[in-house]
Amino acid sequence: MLFSYKWLKEYVKDLPSPKVAADRLTMSGTEVEAVSEACGGIKGVVTAEIVSRERHPNADRLSLCEVKTDKDVFSIVCGATNMKAGDRVALALPGAELPGGFKIKKSKIRGVESGGMMCSEKELGLRETSEGILILPNDTPLGVDLREAMGLDDAMLEVSITPNRADLLSIKGLARELAALTGAAFTEKEIKVADAGAPVEKSISVSIEPGAPCGRYAVRVIEGVKIGPSQEFIRLRLEAAGIRSINNAVDITNYVLLELGQPLHAFDLDKISNRRIIVRLAKDGEQIETIDNKTRQLSSDMLVIADGVSPVAVAGVMGGKGSGVSDGTVGVGTTNILLESAFFDPSTVRRQSRRLGLSSDSSYRFERGVDIDGVVRALDMAAAMMKDYCGGTVAKGAIDLYPQRFENPVIQFRLKRAAGLLGISIEKDWAVKMFKALGMAVKESSSDTQGSPRLEVTAPSYRFDIRNETDLIEEAARLAGYDRIPAAMPVVSMTGGSLGRRTLIRKKINSILTGIGFSEVVNYSFVSPALFALAGGQGGDGVRLINPLSEEQSVMRAVLLPSLLANLQQNLFQKNEEARIFEFAPVFLPGGKGSELPLENWKISGLMYGRRVQWNGPKEPLDFYDVKGVVETLLEGIGVESPHGAEPLQGLDSGYAHLFHPGKSAAVKIGRTPSGGRTPSGGGKHCGVFGETHPDMAARFDLKGPAFLFELDVDALIDVSSGIKKYTPLAKFPESSRDIAFIVNVATPYGEILNAILDLDTKLIENVELFDVYCGDKIPKGMRSMAIRIRYRSLEGTLTQEEVEDVHAKAGKTLAEKFNAVIRSGLNP
Amino acid sequence: MRERLDRLLKEALSELGNAASKEAALQVKAKYLGRKGELSSLLKELASLTGDDKRGAGELINNAKNSLEAAVGVRLSGFDEKEMAERLSAERVDVTLPGRCVYPGKLHPVTQVLSEVEEIFLNLGFTIAEGPEVELDSYNFEALNIPKDHPARDMQDTFYVSGDVLLRTHTSPVQIRVMERAAPPLRVIAPGTVYRRDSDITHTPMFHQVEGFMVDEGVTFANLKAVLTHFLHRLFGEKTSVRFRPSFFPFTEPSAEVDIRCVICSGKGCRVCKGSGWLEILGAGMIHPNVFKSVNYDYEKFSGFAFGLGIERIAMLKFGIDDLRLFFENDLRFLRQF
Repeated sequence: MLFSYKWLKEYVKDLPSPKVAADRLTMSGTEVEAVSEACGGIKGVVTAEIVSRERHPNADRLSLCEVKTDKDVFSIVCGATNMKAGDRVALALPGAELPGGFKIKKSKIRGVESGGMMCSEKELGLRETSEGILILPNDTPLGVDLREAMGLDDAMLEVSITPNRADLLSIKGLARELAALTGAAFTEKEIKVADAGAPVEKSISVSIEPGAPCGRYAVRVIEGVKIGPSQEFIRLRLEAAGIRSINNAVDITNYVLLELGQPLHAFDLDKISNRRIIVRLAKDGEQIETIDNKTRQLSSDMLVIADGVSPVAVAGVMGGKGSGVSDGTVGVGTTNILLESAFFDPSTVRRQSRRLGLSSDSSYRFERGVDIDGVVRALDMAAAMMKDYCGGTVAKGAIDLYPQRFENPVIQFRLKRAAGLLGISIEKDWAVKMFKALGMAVKESSSDTQGSPRLEVTAPSYRFDIRNETDLIEEAARLAGYDRIPAAMPVVSMTGGSLGRRTLIRKKINSILTGIGFSEVVNYSFVSPALFALAGGQGGDGVRLINPLSEEQSVMRAVLLPSLLANLQQNLFQKNEEARIFEFAPVFLPGGKGSELPLENWKISGLMYGRRVQWNGPKEPLDFYDVKGVVETLLEGIGVESPHGAEPLQGLDSGYAHLFHPGKSAAVKIGRTPSGGRTPSGGGKHCGVFGETHPDMAARFDLKGPAFLFELDVDALIDVSSGIKKYTPLAKFPESSRDIAFIVNVATPYGEILNAILDLDTKLIENVELFDVYCGDKIPKGMRSMAIRIRYRSLEGTLTQEEVEDVHAKAGKTLAEKFNAVIRSGLNP
Repeated sequence: MRERLDRLLKEALSELGNAASKEAALQVKAKYLGRKGELSSLLKELASLTGDDKRGAGELINNAKNSLEAAVGVRLSGFDEKEMAERLSAERVDVTLPGRCVYPGKLHPVTQVLSEVEEIFLNLGFTIAEGPEVELDSYNFEALNIPKDHPARDMQDTFYVSGDVLLRTHTSPVQIRVMERAAPPLRVIAPGTVYRRDSDITHTPMFHQVEGFMVDEGVTFANLKAVLTHFLHRLFGEKTSVRFRPSFFPFTEPSAEVDIRCVICSGKGCRVCKGSGWLEILGAGMIHPNVFKSVNYDYEKFSGFAFGLGIERIAMLKFGIDDLRLFFENDLRFLRQF
């Protein structure tokens, strides 16, 4: 909110400079975001008087004026027509600046030199439109800076007010706070209403229906007003605060709102049916056309102001079109005003303001709470101003319905508790003085049981945020200044800090993946329905937002990979043609029955694209085995035995299936490996997928070739990686290796061959290494040649030739019998 | 005998000196020192001598043999050195060609800053806790003293999944979840992703936060100041000025905004600090009694402080990043810089 420094000064004469005041506010919890000069864009414009006005010798539509300041006379060319000799005007001389950074220079206009410019209100930034130049009052002194002459030499404080300090949403409120902070005196303004008209009760009757959430409702009537433009000082103050001028009556309600923080509403009394006002809940099905020309549906939990027939305003939010004040440009002009000042229940106003999508300066204050004891004062101030500036007579008296008097609680303030919470000592005398400066009633109370003094404190009606002892402790800390509280490290019983299991594994994964060239991405958790659909039914209908910012960000991801593909697409667009990226994030799946929240499953997901990176080797494109290698490296690195536990993805019931090439993708299976041994074949747990993109996906994301992807379930990885490692003794006896080369059907998975051989003798076969795979002209079509090296070793002794040959022969037999392999070499005949 | 030896030695050394290669030197060695060499044949002649003559001649021959062997050794190693030097020279590579490296990937700047923050608090004995990103209204707001239809909700524009389920607007609900499960003393930080319905040049609808809190008997505002000052000194340097000023958060009272001297202009006033010379870094405060009530803690017995900070903002200041949106565009040219 914008506050005029000069206006604040009307309440606190000895206010320190704007800068100092701003600092005090900021350091007491009310942040001043900026201090700016009002109309700061006007520089070097002075007051002057037109001495003569002639026609421009070379242009019919221009005038040539002699204009004088206190010292000099200037010839000025002017295109306006609204001025005459003797008028006082705003003269911008060369070097002057106008809002928008427009600089004035001497210039020739149609052959005649103009020594400056006479300004319009629009050019000065004082009005949005203006006709002709600004004519100042005849008593304006000459040669004076325009900002000073017009009273524009003000500073504006842009203040950010926290939701708990509704009492600061007014000039008076902020001035009161400044007085308490600086110790300067606060002077209340005297308000007198000359209410000489007929008694108000003759014009209107008012009632609050029982149960209606309205704490106080007061009205006055002003009769015989003339609606027209506002006084200049009112208009300027409203506009400086960012409120547009409407007409004199409405502007006065806004002026009082700014000064006292109490929203007011002016009705056209003659449009109130039956001359009756009822504050009540709306009836279902009722409607109202608000002043913004929209018809609003009302419901029975909304508070309205109704006349004898129908609602005339949505309480605290907006008035009805039919009952508003009119200047007569359309229909009949208003002559009699019914002025309302009220306290409506804050939550009710907030609810209906949000429901109708209407927020106004009034609703903003009502929903934060207004000073219920200031309702009538504001009413009186506005009525007095209307009498002065709209003509008319104020009806005798006000109607003021205030069924239940508001009282702030009496709070016990224990000095010892305050000191204990803040970590400083607090003097009783200081506390009393401080609370009193804040307008609170303070009484010394008996000491508590430990003999520590207590105060009984009651906040004024406008400080309804002060409800308990902690609120008072905050006031004490605030007024003392946080600077005065020392910094002291806590003395604690020692406890160890710890990372969660997920954080631990994340750190491991981060270091492995960055080590092999993957950079981390962070994507929004919400995606477009189209991207979501790529999850292939994973997550069903998805976890959807009911109020997304856009359709593009409306569904929570059920799979991470589509986001990574979109990242790749964007990077290719930027000509980043080699990509290795990963993301560690949760996916969201609708919760099961009885679960209020969706499931959040954390995934580690990666993508690689482009070529194997080396500058002096062949530039080979990546393939399936590169991504498989990444997955194996990752699993090995976090302590899972590298599995050949991969199964073709095809045919598995997986939401990922259609992201992947069916022949070049696999599901990862892992199992716990307590003794450092291998995952038993066929066992293990499905923990993720990897492979090459489906050609359709490559096309959808504008890829020039396939990308290689993986996505693994983090919880599954935690399960298998967190076991404690057990050491295997180093072999003491020599190994003995034998090779076998064989030809086998290309459709026979190597993994099965491997497992079959490993299963032959778990004690003697240490490992099996594949060292050659060949498909081509030299062997029959549909077959492939493979060569493996089997390493035999016993932990108990050196193996004899016979022992090795015995197992090796079994391996050959298994190959031949189980897989129909033709042995090419490596076995004794 | 002596004369013969002297001549022989002289000859041998001369031939050795003239040997042009290692092979030639070896031939000289064989000629004089070999089994059938000149010195060996002299030794054989010893058999015909007797007594002192024999002894004296033996000694002379051995001396000659030793000195020749030494000379051969020196000559040979000279050839070895030369050979090695030639080989090394031939094997020279262009050391300015690029290395055959695996270009390391980089962690996202948000992750890097999160780790740094976590590290500082872990060293103070804090524990890391996590909670769901899709959260119940009751945890995100009500238990944190933000009732429905309260203007404080305007401070955090919220995405909803249903009437009571939302995307958490801060990591503070983790505070509630932890306090529900465990009794004081507690020292916890809760890093994580949060969401607010706001998108413009200074806001993204998703960002990252770290919430932290400490609850025990006798925790004071002075403790809050010390812990957070320590944290900011570790993060931004020991000389960083820190200021605490009052503010409002529904879940703490008294509440504070914590500012540091602008790292860009050192407090002179610039665009980043909007001319104030200070940068808002943290929100903090003493945990509100209503929050303790919602988890059945005795607020007369226990007290505590809580704080929260935005990670992107810290990352922007630390790395000098001027556009928030870069964090979520995932352009590799950006990501590889950190």
